[in-house]
Amino acid sequence: MTKISTLSDAVASIPSGAHLALSGFAITRCTMAFSREVIRQGIKNLTISQCVGAMDADMLVGAGAVKRLIYGGGSLDRFGRLNCVNRGIEDGSLVADEYSSLSVAFRYLAGALGVPFMPIRSLRGSDLMVQLKERSVSDLANITDPFTGEDWPVLKPLLPDVAVVQVQFSDEEGNACIIGPRWDNNEQVRASQRTIVIAEHVVTCETICQTPEQTTIPGLFVSHVVELPFAAHPTSVYRSYDYDAEHIQVYVEATRTPESFQLFLDKYVYGVKDHWEYLELVGGLQHLSSLKADPVMGY
Amino acid sequence: MEFDYTPSELMAVAGARELRDREVVAVGLGLPVVASFLAKQTHAPNMTILFELGVINPQPVDQGVGLADPRVWYRANVLSSFVDILGEVLHRGRVDVGFLGGLEVDQFGNLNTSLLGEPKGKFRHMIGSGGANDIASCAKRTIIIMRHEERKLRKAISFITSPGYITGNDSRSKAGLAGGPSRVITDKAIFSFHPETKKMMLASIHPGITLEEVLGTMGFSPVVPEHVPFTEPPSGEQIRLIREVIDPKRFYMG
Repeated sequence: MTKISTLSDAVASIPSGAHLALSGFAITRCTMAFSREVIRQGIKNLTISQCVGAMDADMLVGAGAVKRLIYGGGSLDRFGRLNCVNRGIEDGSLVADEYSSLSVAFRYLAGALGVPFMPIRSLRGSDLMVQLKERSVSDLANITDPFTGEDWPVLKPLLPDVAVVQVQFSDEEGNACIIGPRWDNNEQVRASQRTIVIAEHVVTCETICQTPEQTTIPGLFVSHVVELPFAAHPTSVYRSYDYDAEHIQVYVEATRTPESFQLFLDKYVYGVKDHWEYLELVGGLQHLSSLKADPVMGY
Repeated sequence: MEFDYTPSELMAVAGARELRDREVVAVGLGLPVVASFLAKQTHAPNMTILFELGVINPQPVDQGVGLADPRVWYRANVLSSFVDILGEVLHRGRVDVGFLGGLEVDQFGNLNTSLLGEPKGKFRHMIGSGGANDIASCAKRTIIIMRHEERKLRKAISFITSPGYITGNDSRSKAGLAGGPSRVITDKAIFSFHPETKKMMLASIHPGITLEEVLGTMGFSPVVPEHVPFTEPPSGEQIRLIREVIDPKRFYMG
């Protein structure tokens, strides 16, 4: 069954208030085209989760689309911090549940396995633990190991409504391949109710079946497949294209104040009708070709 | 006094000397990358280097802006996931050494990478944990690398992101954690931790630095043994490898 969809239809399937797991890690494989379309469609009150906060989440927070962020800290690597996320935490407009990266990964894993909780060695003795336990509804508790009598922190499973994952290629049923490191993406997909795959390239089922051991996302988890080149721009997609350093700098500068970020959104999100207009605005084919990855180096 | 190496190079070399052959080492970007690549290219060729997002033993030829930069994944043995690296290697107990840095460290080696200011009042939020808390909690030992400044070596830190020896003595093992920081390497000195109180203890002072300079630029008094040696300076070969092979563009060394 084909699940090929337009970006706008895939995004329209998400109700305000949904919990989304996004595939970005700092400045790589971020769901940028998706986030821009969410903002254009005015979807609000989202809960966003990811093991390491990334640009896709930061943009949504800056646009006022996010109520709650569940993450393990994050930055834009050397380009800077997650200014929108940090501002939201500092002024109290964003509810942030801050964990370590493995804690969030274990919460997804518990969700993926269908177990009621996951014990973890991390967080003990830290203020992350103190802060999480002070929440009105805590997703963290302690339990006695029935076999040894030891005390263990346990995490509640994360069960996002939708995982949104940027991949290199997929077939029309959503059998998709992530090339390179997958960080938390496999567990995000399996913990979520359903998955939207954003593929740089849609290939035939025949291609997937030639090397099925490379399939990282089975189609059975997937509701929509959106084919969209440079969908992660300005972040990178391993072996497809490099990050756009200049544009990331534009983003970092713009996120310094809410006013300058509004101007950024007006130009790059609201000012274009779709992803194709966006690609023209940021330099078109000529500029994007310069970002194409070397097949051996992967960047 | 004039030296033929920089303080950063000495820190990287001191970090490398802490690593032994066949050890499994979890690193973040910056000085720890230089320290671990240097160890692997000299005395520890069978060491395993891990990046938290799912990278084992990369051999980059270009320097990257962070762990999310594919430049630092180049020629890896394995590209996998958080659950694989932080879970099945680190949480399972197979990481010997973790390198950590931070905004602030206190006398018990607790680290802050989260925020500056008052957590319940006015503060600036910074980066948070990433895999740092997991590494601090699960590695057999950790090595902390940071600049030697009063605002970074603090009596009390704003937030414990990654636990060291918590409140000292046996508080770490009482919290259910083994391991703990073994060294703090700064640009002025190297510290270990007192075997009982778990307070930071001066282990060596870098050549050209006085004891007064070390103690006068930190927010607490470390344990100072009667005899404190000088830190062994880097060898010519170590400096050559750093400058010509590992970080030719001085991307990590600043």
